[in-house]
Amino acid sequence: MFQVFMRHRELLSELTKREIKSRYKQSILGYAWVILNPFFQMLVMAFVFSHIMRVPVIGVPYALYLYVGLLPWTLFSNSLISSANVLVNNASLITKIYFPREIFVLSTIFAKIVDFALASIVLVLFMVYFRVPITWNIVWFIPIFLIQQIFTYSVSLLVSACNLFYRDIQYVLNLGIVIWMYLTPVIYPVELLPDKYRWIFQVNPMAVLINAYRQVVLSGSSPNLVSLGVAAGVSCAFFIVARWIFNKLEGIFADVV
Amino acid sequence: MLSNVVISLDHVSKLFYKQEQRTMKELIPALFRGGKGGNWFWALQDVSLQVKRGDTVGIVGSNGSGKSTLLKLIAGVTRPTEGKIGTSGRIAPLIELGAGFHSELTGRENAYLNGVILGMTRKEIDAKFQEIVNFADLWDFIDQPIKHYSSGMYLRLAFSVAIHTAPEILLVDEILAVGDEEFQKKCLSKIGEYLHKGGTLLFVSHDIKLVKQICTHIVHIEKGKIIRSYENPQGKKRS
Repeated sequence: MFQVFMRHRELLSELTKREIKSRYKQSILGYAWVILNPFFQMLVMAFVFSHIMRVPVIGVPYALYLYVGLLPWTLFSNSLISSANVLVNNASLITKIYFPREIFVLSTIFAKIVDFALASIVLVLFMVYFRVPITWNIVWFIPIFLIQQIFTYSVSLLVSACNLFYRDIQYVLNLGIVIWMYLTPVIYPVELLPDKYRWIFQVNPMAVLINAYRQVVLSGSSPNLVSLGVAAGVSCAFFIVARWIFNKLEGIFADVV
Repeated sequence: MLSNVVISLDHVSKLFYKQEQRTMKELIPALFRGGKGGNWFWALQDVSLQVKRGDTVGIVGSNGSGKSTLLKLIAGVTRPTEGKIGTSGRIAPLIELGAGFHSELTGRENAYLNGVILGMTRKEIDAKFQEIVNFADLWDFIDQPIKHYSSGMYLRLAFSVAIHTAPEILLVDEILAVGDEEFQKKCLSKIGEYLHKGGTLLFVSHDIKLVKQICTHIVHIEKGKIIRSYENPQGKKRS
């Protein structure tokens, strides 16, 4: 994996740039949409869930609470959705030139990470405005983010390869992501769910990760290391399996696309 | 592999699966009907071929004979079902020029993107950029999005990038049938220059006359099998 990455890093960066540059061409606000989109989404949701539905959140303003969960979730869902189509959209390259196909999936995820970084600027401003105290536990952000990316990459590999064979996958995925979001404490706190359903959060790596982000960013505490360790283990195992399957299928991509 | 052999195919066969259903909605009824959901066929059967450095090999055959599959196998985009393929050096496929071009990006951006896709580094492209644009004769348009290009300009840029990757092996598939006559001539003379420097060419075409003009070795494929393979002394070693 690392070798592939090093040998093709220029290709990877060109493909990532292509994706970023081409996306908001011929729009007035251009790349600002990357920041505006999640921001407005957050405003709408914050209004609905704190003024109409009244989700109880302890300690921090709901908008902030929501944003810390929504940004990594958006990164995850956008990565999956664009991965589903990345091989299909690059059919003309896949049938002509050989290089490891996972470069396509990597480049699309990298582009989403750039979006995430930009959108996070607003979050940082929010945190300054609300004077959220920052502790050294914020450093935990890095391993949590890495685990999320390993998990995202694994799911993306499978989704992109499967969609090449049957285009139903992208529709199943869209539906799946909506359901998955409600099974993850993005818009509501974990405490809101009755105890007998809490196990859902234990087996859902995204739930563990979103919780961990909130703990290290908003509460300034350290994350639940046992849950995080399990999420890391599951992600790595999944990564090995997904990559093995992807590499097995890769040889016939050009034949089916 | 011998040191001067740059492409070697050893009893290569390719079995294709023709998938007829693209969605599960189509697949599931097909399964109930007892359909196979597609059918298998041999696109290539037991093909052996060796190409030495500096060879110009023409591949002829009618539509669906397996020519393009052969090129795809050599380019490495698909794996053989049986047999072995070895290639050495950078391969530039001049197959469907401009694969990977993005219409919203400028000519300059696309030249870099395409160059990197074909295996160059950014530095190598920097060094050759002048030459690439000169050949394509596109200085006036290089910083415009290529969606404003005419199809001729598009082809010129794509061909220019591909030929300047300094490939070990050039795979050419019918491309000379496109573009205006002047550009065709320019391409042919550029390919001639490339051959003169000792490059290897694999040329796929219906146009037996053109193949005989260029190639020193001709392989005739029908129905996935080599039916005839012969030297063609008239094919000029462009020197």
